[in-house]
Amino acid sequence: MAAKAQRKADIEVSYRYIIHLLCLFTVVSAVAQVNVTGNVIDKENNAPLSGASVIVKGADGKIKKFASSKADGGFSMTMPTVDGSCLEVAMMGFAKRSIPLDSIVFPLTVYMEPGSTLLKEVTVKADRIREQGDTITYDVGSFAQQQDRSIGDVLKRMPGINVEQSGKIQYQGEDINKFYIEGSDLLGGKYGIATNGISHEDVGAVEVMENHQPMQVLSGISFSDKAAINLKLKNKAKATWSFHGDAGGGYSWQPDGAIWDGELFAMAVMPNFQNITTFKTNNIGEDLSAQATDFFASRRGTDLSRYVGVSLPGVPNLSRKRTLFNRSALVSTNALWKLGRGEFKTQIDYSFNRITAEAANVTTYFLNDGNRVVTEDRNGVDRSHSLSGKFIYELNQKTAFINNTLKTNIDWDDVRLGVTGSLSNNQTASLPAYYVGNDFKLIKRFNGKHLVTFISKNEWESLPQTLSVSINDGFMRQQVKDHAFYTNESAAYAFSVKGITISLEGGVKGYVRTMRSELPDMPEEIPGETTNVLNTNYFTVYATPKFEYWVRRVNFTLNAPVSFAHYTFDKALANRSEVYFSPSLSMNWKPNNRFEMSVSGGTGRSPMDLNMIQPGYVMTNYRSFRRGIDDFYNSSSQRVSGRLSYKHTRRGIFANAMVMQSWSHRPYTLAQQLYGDYVVYSYTDAESDGQMLMASGNIGKTLDFMRGSANINGSFSRNESHLISENTNVNSVGTSWSVGAKINGAPLRWFSFDYRFEWASSRMSMNGTNASWLGNMENELLLNIMPHRKWEWHISGEHYRNELTADQFKNVFLLDTKVIFKLNKRLELSASLSNIFNQRTYNYTTYNQLTSFESQRWLRGRELLISISLRK
Amino acid sequence: MNKLLTSIFMCLVAISAMAQNKAEIIVSYDSSFPNKFGKINTGKMSLLASTTEAKYFNDLSLWVDSLKSTPEGKAQYMEIIKKACMTVEPDGSVSFDMRKGPTKPTNSYVFTDLAQDCLTHYNKFGEDNGYYTEPLSEMQWTIVEDSTATVLGYECIMAESDYHGRHWKAWFATELPMPFGLWKLHGLPGLILKAEANGGFSFVATGLERTDRIMTPMYMQGDYSKVDRKEALKNAEYFANNEESIMNAQGQNVKIYSTDDQGNKIETPKYDGLKHNIEPDYKMK
Repeated sequence: MAAKAQRKADIEVSYRYIIHLLCLFTVVSAVAQVNVTGNVIDKENNAPLSGASVIVKGADGKIKKFASSKADGGFSMTMPTVDGSCLEVAMMGFAKRSIPLDSIVFPLTVYMEPGSTLLKEVTVKADRIREQGDTITYDVGSFAQQQDRSIGDVLKRMPGINVEQSGKIQYQGEDINKFYIEGSDLLGGKYGIATNGISHEDVGAVEVMENHQPMQVLSGISFSDKAAINLKLKNKAKATWSFHGDAGGGYSWQPDGAIWDGELFAMAVMPNFQNITTFKTNNIGEDLSAQATDFFASRRGTDLSRYVGVSLPGVPNLSRKRTLFNRSALVSTNALWKLGRGEFKTQIDYSFNRITAEAANVTTYFLNDGNRVVTEDRNGVDRSHSLSGKFIYELNQKTAFINNTLKTNIDWDDVRLGVTGSLSNNQTASLPAYYVGNDFKLIKRFNGKHLVTFISKNEWESLPQTLSVSINDGFMRQQVKDHAFYTNESAAYAFSVKGITISLEGGVKGYVRTMRSELPDMPEEIPGETTNVLNTNYFTVYATPKFEYWVRRVNFTLNAPVSFAHYTFDKALANRSEVYFSPSLSMNWKPNNRFEMSVSGGTGRSPMDLNMIQPGYVMTNYRSFRRGIDDFYNSSSQRVSGRLSYKHTRRGIFANAMVMQSWSHRPYTLAQQLYGDYVVYSYTDAESDGQMLMASGNIGKTLDFMRGSANINGSFSRNESHLISENTNVNSVGTSWSVGAKINGAPLRWFSFDYRFEWASSRMSMNGTNASWLGNMENELLLNIMPHRKWEWHISGEHYRNELTADQFKNVFLLDTKVIFKLNKRLELSASLSNIFNQRTYNYTTYNQLTSFESQRWLRGRELLISISLRK
Repeated sequence: MNKLLTSIFMCLVAISAMAQNKAEIIVSYDSSFPNKFGKINTGKMSLLASTTEAKYFNDLSLWVDSLKSTPEGKAQYMEIIKKACMTVEPDGSVSFDMRKGPTKPTNSYVFTDLAQDCLTHYNKFGEDNGYYTEPLSEMQWTIVEDSTATVLGYECIMAESDYHGRHWKAWFATELPMPFGLWKLHGLPGLILKAEANGGFSFVATGLERTDRIMTPMYMQGDYSKVDRKEALKNAEYFANNEESIMNAQGQNVKIYSTDDQGNKIETPKYDGLKHNIEPDYKMK
């Protein structure tokens, strides 16, 4: 034993001796040597990269030394000198880095960013979609196509993600609950500014965080079935201001005249400061107001809605950009400052929209004593301005959450609509809106499992409305003054033990509203009162117990809100006291990362919409009058719904399906009565039951062989409701379904395409009599050809096949083209010609036995636009 | 010794951990070696490579091994062989012509793993299945920058190395930053698309594509035992030259002979590692 130990010691000594000698040699030889050492790191996740090729090239561009990074990302080479040398680090799926070695201190850390390595004929790149825990990462570069500009264009191609026409984003069929840029929530619900503005070239990856609980304080206590999106910017777009701008001008054949389209976008994403400022203006049919929509806005507590509604005629079933005659401008500036542990945000937007519309209808009555022709031309202008500001302070920590949001909104909306023809008239409406509100929320977590919440909401809103109608020498003026104040103060306590979270929220709500309306000159045909003097106030005490239970990847949530409300109507109606109880139960099961299922159901009783209490008539437009209810009612409803979703990230498959059924019971029914040329809507004391069934499904898949993706979707809905028309009970059933498909890809290096198909059909049945199904089909194809690195050519076509009456179709084909010349990375010139065939009208005529109806609508004509784009 | 054992163990761990790793690219190579009849044997080989691992193999051999790795697959494979190769003569006797069936063109597989810093070579050495591992540092290259070639449209730079008894020239593409290559060649700052060694050994890439094929680990690993490379090669040479007597010594009664192109019996030439083996260092002093 002792001998063995001795031998071991001898060996150790000799090892040491050799190591010392080796060190000595190394030192001696190192005198004239440079050790080129360092680490290769994946920028995305800070993990070491092994297998990266590391080359030192001399001033002559030749390889002097090479190595590959080891498992820990490290590399090491010795060289006599590094003067004039350059270190090149390359790896499949990452962008190559080139670092001059003069005056570099070793060890060097080389960060690698995802990038694609171009293979001859075939491209090799990073996995297009990766999954890590609850986060799915989409590689933007691998989904982007040449014609894409903004990150929104690319998001549409990512399977599992759906961008609606409005810009609202859904993941696996559910609206997202947060939109982050580099982990900061700069824009709140107005993320349309980012998706439409941020260039996809500035974004490295899009992360989807499933089951995202935005309030850290609630993590592990309260379940969220919503997902959030985070944009991971490329380094070049971080810690600096990035700008891009477009300016275009040209000529339009209809409306005849000059056209313009401009955009300025500036973004700064720094560790303690973020800013996005954008200015946009155009008159080429792009509706900008949608881009500043707050997709997370909850219903206002003041709950006012306009009585007066003068709407411009539209063109059914055609893309809005083809039919919108506009002049629009939008300015939006959004900033975020990180202050200590919290952050302060401001969001200020101003938008202006001037829309003109024109329509003509010719109805011919075939009568025995000759035909009678009735014509109606409508011509209108809508000018709207909207100014809104939001000022937010937020502290989001594991133990505390504080948010105070002050929001204001001022709108001016002036509409003028002239009708010439058999019932000539001129309508002018002035519809301003004023709103100010403050929300305060405080959540504190203590001892890990106990939560206390205070919420205070205060809102004030005013909606004055004036409608002036000159008709057949007569003149009517409807005036409405409607304003309300709402307050809601609540406190909640929650605790969590063994997977069960129990919370109780209690509070008071107060509501004060006054409405005055006046219509001095009522048409003689319509009998009844035309002034309203109303106060609808309430005071509510409520409590909402909530139970959440976790067992084996299943979450059960039971909500049981109960409230006592006292309504006062200032003598117009008798005061009322009511108790409401609306329990709901939901279950969510996520057995693994691929599959998720949830079912939920609820029932309840709720008060009617107070806007409906209105004993006197209000003119809503030149031929419609509305009268509400002169009593207070409650309605009840039930609903059940189910959702399924499946994903297989590695194969790029995303699928979801949902079905929902709801029932409603109301003790009042909408009635419609004709008095001469006028339509009067009112409510009568008759039970009204309605039900609705909705189902939809969606499957998306990546098509890696051509860097593309495909998607198919379908939906069905059936809506049954009651109304009383001309004293007859009408049971109406609306049924509609739709199917759609999308496919895109870049099968060749110089060619990419986008194709979309949609077919929708609907039918209305009244009292068992079925009208015929009417279907609309839409095809859209975009081809993108890159004959040369600097040139791009887009050709796109849209085809619509709209069924006007049974088996009578209206076909419209619109063709556009665009040529882009990329002068360099920063500067781009383009010329586009849209609606090449100069289709100016959307006219059609339908016949039945006794009449013919001819409709004329106008389209945007041929347009030539020359643009210049600059980016920094 | 301990270190060696550890590294062997690590290699095995690495091989089993490789189970589900996806390749990024696949390269096909044409290989040519001189055989003992004085002719050139040509073959088709494939390389699957990710950023950290590579697997060099023959697709048909892989198919056969994957099939034979399960009992049902093995039975299925025997059926296929029977159908393809078996002939029943009118007198009822049975003969097999294995050239007609899907048999393994080669038994060689090379797995290269950067994380473990080693490569593992599986082969049939004589009668026995065996494997050995080798640290990646065994191959050292000198770049000869002025000598370039274009393979599959990639500009390749040449590098030279003396490796296991032959002088190798390899052409690698820096546009494909992966330190892998055909056979056991590796360690250059770009994928090796072409290589030549003295004695008429040559390889050239014939295709390159992106792929998401899984790099399956070695099938039937349990059938392979650890060998010493030089010993195994010596045994293989001995077996090649004494196949008939070895088999007869084991109690069989066989006669092995060769035929020329016309089918005439000829004397089987001797296998000489110095001429016919890609790694002749086992015969060098």
